[in-house]
Amino acid sequence: MIGLSEILGVVMLAYLAAGLLFLAAVLWSSLRLKSLALGVLGGALAAHTVAFFARWTISYGQAALATPPADFWGKVQLAVFQVPLSNFYESLVFFSWCLACLTLIFLHRYAEDFLGVVGGILASLVLAYASMGVDSRIKPLMPALKSNWLLIHVITCFLGYAAFGLAFGAAVLYLVRSLMKRSPSQAAALPLLDRLIYRAAVIGFIFLTLGILTGAVWAETAWGRYWSWDPKETASLITWFIYAALLHARLVQGWQGRPIAWLAVVGFGAVLFTYLGVSFLLPGLHSYLN
Amino acid sequence: MTQASSSSSLLGRLWKTLTSLRLTLVLLILLAVVSLVGTVRPQVFDTLWFLTPLALLFVNLTACLIRGLPQAVRRSLQSLTPEAALELPERARFRWPGNQDPRARVEKALRQELGPVQKSADGDSTFYFWERGRFRPLGPYVVHLALLVILTGALVGRFWGVQGRLTLMEGETAQDFISEEKAIPLGFQAHLDRFQVFYYPDGTPREFRSDLNLTKPGQAPKQAVCRVNEPVTFGDYTLYQSSYGNAVRLEIKDGDKSQTLEAMVGQTVPIPGSQARFRVLEYLPDLVMPGGDQEKRLGPAARIAYGEEGGHPRLVVVLKNRPELADKQPGPHRFFLQGSKPFSVLQVKRDPGVWWVYSGFLLLLPGFYLAFLRPPERCALVLDRNRKGDWEASLLGAAPRSRETFQERLARLQSLLQEGGAA
Repeated sequence: MIGLSEILGVVMLAYLAAGLLFLAAVLWSSLRLKSLALGVLGGALAAHTVAFFARWTISYGQAALATPPADFWGKVQLAVFQVPLSNFYESLVFFSWCLACLTLIFLHRYAEDFLGVVGGILASLVLAYASMGVDSRIKPLMPALKSNWLLIHVITCFLGYAAFGLAFGAAVLYLVRSLMKRSPSQAAALPLLDRLIYRAAVIGFIFLTLGILTGAVWAETAWGRYWSWDPKETASLITWFIYAALLHARLVQGWQGRPIAWLAVVGFGAVLFTYLGVSFLLPGLHSYLN
Repeated sequence: MTQASSSSSLLGRLWKTLTSLRLTLVLLILLAVVSLVGTVRPQVFDTLWFLTPLALLFVNLTACLIRGLPQAVRRSLQSLTPEAALELPERARFRWPGNQDPRARVEKALRQELGPVQKSADGDSTFYFWERGRFRPLGPYVVHLALLVILTGALVGRFWGVQGRLTLMEGETAQDFISEEKAIPLGFQAHLDRFQVFYYPDGTPREFRSDLNLTKPGQAPKQAVCRVNEPVTFGDYTLYQSSYGNAVRLEIKDGDKSQTLEAMVGQTVPIPGSQARFRVLEYLPDLVMPGGDQEKRLGPAARIAYGEEGGHPRLVVVLKNRPELADKQPGPHRFFLQGSKPFSVLQVKRDPGVWWVYSGFLLLLPGFYLAFLRPPERCALVLDRNRKGDWEASLLGAAPRSRETFQERLARLQSLLQEGGAA
């Protein structure tokens, strides 16, 4: 039988291939290559989804073996608890999934093939990181993680991160292209990218806010404190401040173009600090270290 | 409010500063920087470095709300009138021959693309208009109001809320809990009937729970199970299962004298009848020593720091299964480990601000919906016969916040209408 890590390895390569195919499609402006790239990306996302649910099933099976659920609702409850979003490895796999999924959605709405390049490569890099030296074993849940809020909290947070990742990708593209402005085809794409940065930042902002709120409600039921200045909470608040500043600058002051692109780059730095920096450098509830 | 009067007086200038976006941006950046320091030193959140910009942000938000809300409400209450719709910029024109009444087709196309539209007719001249996202101007104010409600909740919690912890051993009853090193009455009695820890096969804890019996004069007693993620509310307080520790039972001999004491790990306990005190630093249910071929299990063990007032502290390791080793212990006292049992650590809280905070959370959702997902769009179509008797239509519309999607919408509408014309 093929293991899940092998499937994810193939998915990783497929994301990379999709990204490169998008690049080729842009360079040779080939529609055929583009639809091939879309097909590869979609297929890889489907396989990724299957792998996610397979891990969920395995995780459920292990937990059900240790503590057999009594009735139907007990099974549902256990299934919700065992959603594979409870450790660093699982979060990386899901982050990559969110990136690929949002890339497809954005590609559908904005015909900007470079987005496929960025999205595919980012998703592939995240999966590659997950497969290298991150502990992928399914571990039993610690008591604090047994909550219905786990599912919604992690999903909202990572959709937010992924949207910010796309905003970052679009911002980098914007900055690169604004340097090569002389060619008219490059300049023509700038307003589209600018809009894309804004849209992705809005989606990220909404999801990050929902993630912070659900985390606060969860912390309130678990420890009686909706906010305790845990390093992760603080870092997410910093990220929130940065994107709030971006949205105000854009919506109220009418900033566009480069300053917004730079804010999106800085904001994604804050996202990475929130996701990785805090978890490895600082102790706290969200620490991925033991 | 005219510019001249508002900026000439000091008050006017202050008001202008308080409502300015520049202040908001400066405060957001300042708060981000201070918070960055706070990730390493959380104390900073209790200092003026953090509280001052936060208070200013509160004032800034309130000022912006006072300044802009009335206008936003007025704009939201104004529905699209035919007069206003006629002012919209023209986007396209259509023409049909006089013998083909296009009204049914036009209505079908509009319904298909826009949904229900309003209509006013006057003879042959027909006027259709449609709008969406009228309440969008309220969105940002709802969001900011929600943030103010959340901050208010945080303030209410800070001033009228109480937080502390309650440590209970099995069989123990408590009437008060500890908050900032002071005992505060619970207003009821909390008795811990039973405390259990369940483990996974690999030895990590799966669940811990306190079976509590809560009693208050004049109220029915309550039997409750407090687990992680499942708090219990009784009287004025809510109890949260936050953690647990071990209490160690030690027999302490000094010559012929013998006494048995219970001590929680981490707690300093005086030894009655002497100047000495001790503290259990660590308790291990099973001390494992690595061996050559196989590890050696030595059973329960405790590490104790012990000494007299002002004297040197001494470190003692006590093994339950090897009481004979006590002879090697320093000092006049000999420690014998008899057993251990876990104690429950409960977080105790009363926070009247939580409901404010939650209301703010709920209010954020419609705020975001209005602000980001409902851009205002206005559209009108004027249909009339010209002098030659042909039908003429003019499509008007505007969507200042979503030009691109609106343009796509208009393009779809245009193709629908032209289809109708060709047929």
